[in-house]
Amino acid sequence: MRRTIVVALLIGSPLSAQGYRVRLDGRFQAVGYRGVQLDSIPVTDTVTGPSGGPATPDGFAVRCPSGAAYCLFFRPGAVQRGAPFVTTADASVWGFGVRGLSAHATARAAVDFTGSDAWPGTESAIQLLAAYADYSVERLSARAGRQLNSNRLGTIGFDGASITVRDGRRGLEATIYGGWGLARGAALPVTSPALNPLDDFQPGRRQLLLGAEAGWSGRIGDIRGEYLREVDPATDYFVSERVGFAGVARPAPGWSVSAGADYDLAAGWWGSAEAALGYTTRSVTGSLGVRRYRPHFDLWTIWGAFSPVPYTAVQGQVAIRALPQVQVRARGERYRYNDAEVSAPLVTVEQSGWRSELGVTASPVASWTFDAGYSREFGPGAASVGTSASVTYAPTGPYAVTLHGAALDRPLELRFSESVLHVYGIDGRVEPHPGLRFEIGAVRYAEDRRRPDPAAIDWGQWRVTLRAVLAIGSGDDLDRLPPAVRRMPGGRAER
Amino acid sequence: MIAPASLFILALLQQPAQGFDHVQHKALFPSCTSCHAGAAQERPSLWPDPVSCAACHDGAIEKTVVWRAPTSPRRSNLRFDHVAHGAKAGGKSPTCAGCHTVAGEPRMAVREPVVQRCLDCHEIRTAHLAAPDSACATCHVSLVRAASLTRQDVADFPAPPSHAAPDFLSRGGHGAVSRQAMGTACATCHAREFCYQCHAGSAPPRAIAWLASDPRSTALLARAAPASHGDNFADRHGTEAAASTTTCTGCHVRADCLECHRPSGARAAGYHPDGFLARHPASAYAREAACSDCHNVGAFCTACHARAGLVAEGLLRSGYHDARRFFLVGHGQAARQGLESCVTCHAERDCLPCHSAVGGRRFNPHGPGFDASRMRRKNFAMCTACHGANVPER
Repeated sequence: MRRTIVVALLIGSPLSAQGYRVRLDGRFQAVGYRGVQLDSIPVTDTVTGPSGGPATPDGFAVRCPSGAAYCLFFRPGAVQRGAPFVTTADASVWGFGVRGLSAHATARAAVDFTGSDAWPGTESAIQLLAAYADYSVERLSARAGRQLNSNRLGTIGFDGASITVRDGRRGLEATIYGGWGLARGAALPVTSPALNPLDDFQPGRRQLLLGAEAGWSGRIGDIRGEYLREVDPATDYFVSERVGFAGVARPAPGWSVSAGADYDLAAGWWGSAEAALGYTTRSVTGSLGVRRYRPHFDLWTIWGAFSPVPYTAVQGQVAIRALPQVQVRARGERYRYNDAEVSAPLVTVEQSGWRSELGVTASPVASWTFDAGYSREFGPGAASVGTSASVTYAPTGPYAVTLHGAALDRPLELRFSESVLHVYGIDGRVEPHPGLRFEIGAVRYAEDRRRPDPAAIDWGQWRVTLRAVLAIGSGDDLDRLPPAVRRMPGGRAER
Repeated sequence: MIAPASLFILALLQQPAQGFDHVQHKALFPSCTSCHAGAAQERPSLWPDPVSCAACHDGAIEKTVVWRAPTSPRRSNLRFDHVAHGAKAGGKSPTCAGCHTVAGEPRMAVREPVVQRCLDCHEIRTAHLAAPDSACATCHVSLVRAASLTRQDVADFPAPPSHAAPDFLSRGGHGAVSRQAMGTACATCHAREFCYQCHAGSAPPRAIAWLASDPRSTALLARAAPASHGDNFADRHGTEAAASTTTCTGCHVRADCLECHRPSGARAAGYHPDGFLARHPASAYAREAACSDCHNVGAFCTACHARAGLVAEGLLRSGYHDARRFFLVGHGQAARQGLESCVTCHAERDCLPCHSAVGGRRFNPHGPGFDASRMRRKNFAMCTACHGANVPER
């Protein structure tokens, strides 16, 4: 596939009418944090710790698997250093002599200069997120190649083809697509070793994928339905089969009612769903709604058979621009899991939780923006309470500077560790030319991990980020148009 | 979508005529057409012959003046022609003073045409820019035909009040107007390129396709977000985006989505707030958002957790659940509530020693909603991971 795209781009380049857009986004980060080292001790050498459990003589609480001769624990390890450099390139090329024909590619290259593999997402070194040829006319679009399709069933990647037909006058559109699927949340096939760090269950062949979407858009609202099935060609069984629906109604100016749901045909249960009433004016934005979340697992794992239970939440949010220079915001959500229907007399776990946030943003003068926020959440597994603040100076020039800081207390329900974290940093941005932007940032995470034994291995670290974004193209109007147009197939000149 | 261009022209024309002081010369000229013969007849020029000025301004009687009649067309988008207008209006045609002077001012206090007179005669009972969409073409040609206007002239077009309505950028706002008028009213100020500043991601609506092409139209920038994109819209756009993909593609292209929805991005730009890494345990454990839509558990979560000691490599030995002494025997509720979190450290083999029906302790992991026969039908191979060849029917 990669070879095909490169060849296509090279072949196309000499054409006189050709146009192109290229965007390069390179980001380098440097990070160092304390690692951990798995250690063991014979059961006979353990002592009774302060909490009554087994511990090493130097105080580390240990875990002794039933019947094992050794107990296990973590000691502070060597400092883990990472220096990842990730570059993402977007390219669009058109002008192949056929009006409406264009080619697109988005690829990412990643390397960790320390060779430590301390940074997630750097395997494999080159990833092709999208690479397809597109032919679009008023009533039809056809694409072939690697594509990413985002809808309410998720972000679906595949190598294949898609065809969309539309009747713009009636607001109707239908799409069908199919091919060999990519893994969920990755630009890699499910067979890639990078997706299986624990070396466990993994399909031997890529799933075959077939999807269809249809929608209607009108003045009073929109409605859309989606169907997706994935089949394992090795076993001829389903990897997943789901349908989704979503709709928005606009009964009056400023008001909207949105709702959506998905149903897992393979598992036979409803997945996630939501409904919300929204209101938007120039000074007030708010919504009130309910939602339900249930994770989806492909059937090549056994996790779906473990019956993950959904939670149902009530949520609301409002943002009010009290003065032209001041906006206050608040949001909150309360959720509760369905009954898991398990009997666990020795362990109790929270079944419900809530989240809340208050914030204010002020721009007393044009160049300065002050922001402060307070957030608090509590729920199964983890909780946190924190404050944050930032000051941004962005004059009418090509640069901006932001100072930010935060304090966070984040107890974990199932662990002894309770972390108090302070974060402070600085970000800078300069745009010497409309198509060129540099960013630099440094942030310090200062953690105080509280634990009753020496295993309070803090996570404190510095992170330094350098970023450069370059956008070039064949048009001379790149700087004056919004991002969507700068990246659009063919550019406006081609239309 | 009434012609804001006309306000620009109005501003241009309403300024007192420069160069020639008509009032000072009022005693010399009995009628306007004695100098501006072209206003009444087709063939003569609209402008006076400079020779006639030199009759007095010869350097002896009066100081010399140098003036030449304009040779380039007037920078205007008015469709007005004096002779044609007079012929068509017949007896209703206004006098020169009717349009070029204001009541109460002295004779020959000439100014550029008073727009309100146009509106009055054509029975347009509104302020100029508030005139109905169908009225623009009464006085104005389309932008494409107004060849004399420069890009800067177009940039200076003022927006009519209708464009300030909160929902003007919506489908029911300018969309409805453009569909009804099929571009005729819009064309006074706009051309196709103007629309493409936003309508970038899909085939253009018919009303846009109807418009002619004119690169000058991008001198007007249309970059405001629609009213629906209020605060926190990024957090709550999911349902609307799923339902209204066609609407989204009016302004957005796929690369816009990938800015955040970028699979496994080590740090996808924009989606998470600053400092999210520090507070992600609480957010991720209770699934504030669907993490796995963008992050693959194996490539992203597990790889990082393993380096932090949060991993179960072959045995349940990490000690993560150290605040619950008997967590292993009572983990069911936590597992069913947070299964996505569990699998960021655990693999299937960690569970099978107890939950497998073949070689395990046969603890049944199936809970509420589990449909054995359906699951068996959809993927029998998955069932065999725990049941071997003897997968129960129910």
